[in-house]
Amino acid sequence: MIELFLVFLVFGFLGAVLIFMNKFLGPTKTNPAKESPFECGSPYLQEGINPFPIKFYLVAFLFLLFDIEVVFFFPWALVFKEMGTTALVIMFAYMIVIVMGFIYAWKKGAFQWE
Amino acid sequence: MNSFFALFPLLIIVFIALAVLILEVFLKRENRDYLAYISLVFLVICAFVCIQFWNKAYYYFDGNLLLDQFALFFTFILLLSTGFVVLLSMKYISLQDVNYGEFYALLLLAVSGAIIMVSSPDLLVIILGLEVLSISSYALTGLKRKDELSSEAAIKYFLLGSFATAFLLFGLALLYGASHSTGIPTIIRYFNTEADLSLMALIGLGLIVIGFGFKIALVPFHMWTPDVYQGAPTPITAFFSVVPKAACFAIFLRIFYPFWKTAFDSQAIFWLLWGISVLTMVVGNLVALRQTNVKRILAYSSIAHAGYLLVALLAQDNSSLVFYLTVYLFMNMGAFAAVIALSKKDKEYLELEDYSGIGFKYPWIGVTLSIFLLSLAGFPPTGGFLAKFYVFSSAVRQGLVPLVIIGVLASLISVYYYLRIIVHMYMREPSREVDIVVENPALFLVLFLCLYGVLQLGLYPRNILVLINQAVSLL
Repeated sequence: MIELFLVFLVFGFLGAVLIFMNKFLGPTKTNPAKESPFECGSPYLQEGINPFPIKFYLVAFLFLLFDIEVVFFFPWALVFKEMGTTALVIMFAYMIVIVMGFIYAWKKGAFQWE
Repeated sequence: MNSFFALFPLLIIVFIALAVLILEVFLKRENRDYLAYISLVFLVICAFVCIQFWNKAYYYFDGNLLLDQFALFFTFILLLSTGFVVLLSMKYISLQDVNYGEFYALLLLAVSGAIIMVSSPDLLVIILGLEVLSISSYALTGLKRKDELSSEAAIKYFLLGSFATAFLLFGLALLYGASHSTGIPTIIRYFNTEADLSLMALIGLGLIVIGFGFKIALVPFHMWTPDVYQGAPTPITAFFSVVPKAACFAIFLRIFYPFWKTAFDSQAIFWLLWGISVLTMVVGNLVALRQTNVKRILAYSSIAHAGYLLVALLAQDNSSLVFYLTVYLFMNMGAFAAVIALSKKDKEYLELEDYSGIGFKYPWIGVTLSIFLLSLAGFPPTGGFLAKFYVFSSAVRQGLVPLVIIGVLASLISVYYYLRIIVHMYMREPSREVDIVVENPALFLVLFLCLYGVLQLGLYPRNILVLINQAVSLL
């Protein structure tokens, strides 16, 4: 047990040392050229932070709503016979929440690409 | 009684949140004030249902949702403060161009999370509720989308908050490993019966304290507070300063009250909380001295108040803790209402300099804000004095004299920065041009209700104390 602990200790310590060694040993002098963004040797053409379309974001959200959440129907179908009406009520409550989200996304124009 | 009725308060809130969300996309922009009225009506209905359920002790889901009197009292507090926030934000939203309809829906979802938290004796369900509360809070913080500070606050809150949740889950995992249960009663029983208490359980409990301490803004975990309070829309700041605090303290009560009584090995946890309490009171009050932004001052003051509340927790005096929270609701909401009153189209007056001469120009706002600040500082005859008096006297009776001395000194320091705002309002020449929109009946309603609450609780707290004693007697 203690050997195992030692192994973890040694390698953990080594990892920490290796991470911070650069910081301590490396030269820290800076100059303006060093601080500027690097773009294959040529002067940089644009700012690093640009606005970008977040449509794919939206796709990811909608994926969460309509794929991941609908996955829960499969286990529900499996236990439906044992649980009976309770399962039905619970799934209807769940469905209402999903449908509400669907209507909201629709009316907000989340499905329009342009 | 095992009954479906136990779900009613939650169902009402969640359904109205969804309905408001849907209505928002169908209503025209100028009609969206109706969303506030709808939310208010259903908050009142939910509060009424809570009053009807008093003494019934309904439970459901095998007792994982338990509406005992404690839960009902806290639910009532949460609903009341949410109602105040809705009233405060009606005018504010259109003045400051905060995103419209999602505001009320997210607010209601957040409070539904808080209600789940206070009405469950199972830590897993509590964390579920905390997540519902937090995720809505992150979104609420960033609702002033054109404001850089607001977005920054939202990101900060989100990153730190999710980190704190990780602590909480890790703590729960350790506790589950030790006691084989996530229910608070079983965990407490484990702490009481196990002769050789495992380190695992103690660390687990410590991590849980850290996780909730983050939401309450106890001192080593308070870094997010001033930035988030400053960046968030002001009604939301008022919401943050009361609702998550009340909910988390309810859970602290549920965990620690039975824990103190019997756990013979609780010294470590006791001294941990003792140290956090001292730090919270001292740091909160000292740092507030240097602030010039009123929202930041109120943020640090709310940190300091969390420290006083911890004193009550350590003194094992439940009723004075709950009383303090109730008074705190009224005085803090009132102070924020006055801060919100000082705003006009696309402009809020938040610097101390802006407050110069306000007291004579807008007498009602000046007088009420002064009373709330005096109450926060703990002057008689306001509720703040009585609350502090109860807390500190019961702490002395428990023999926590050093803690009380530190607490009283800290609250003496706090007098300086509360009075500084009042001095600015009444004794300085106005240095900047301040003109605000005065016609805002909803806001003045909140101001006067809070004023009534502060004075009623300060002068004649008997009725509410009876209720509180009933609520905490079952813990």
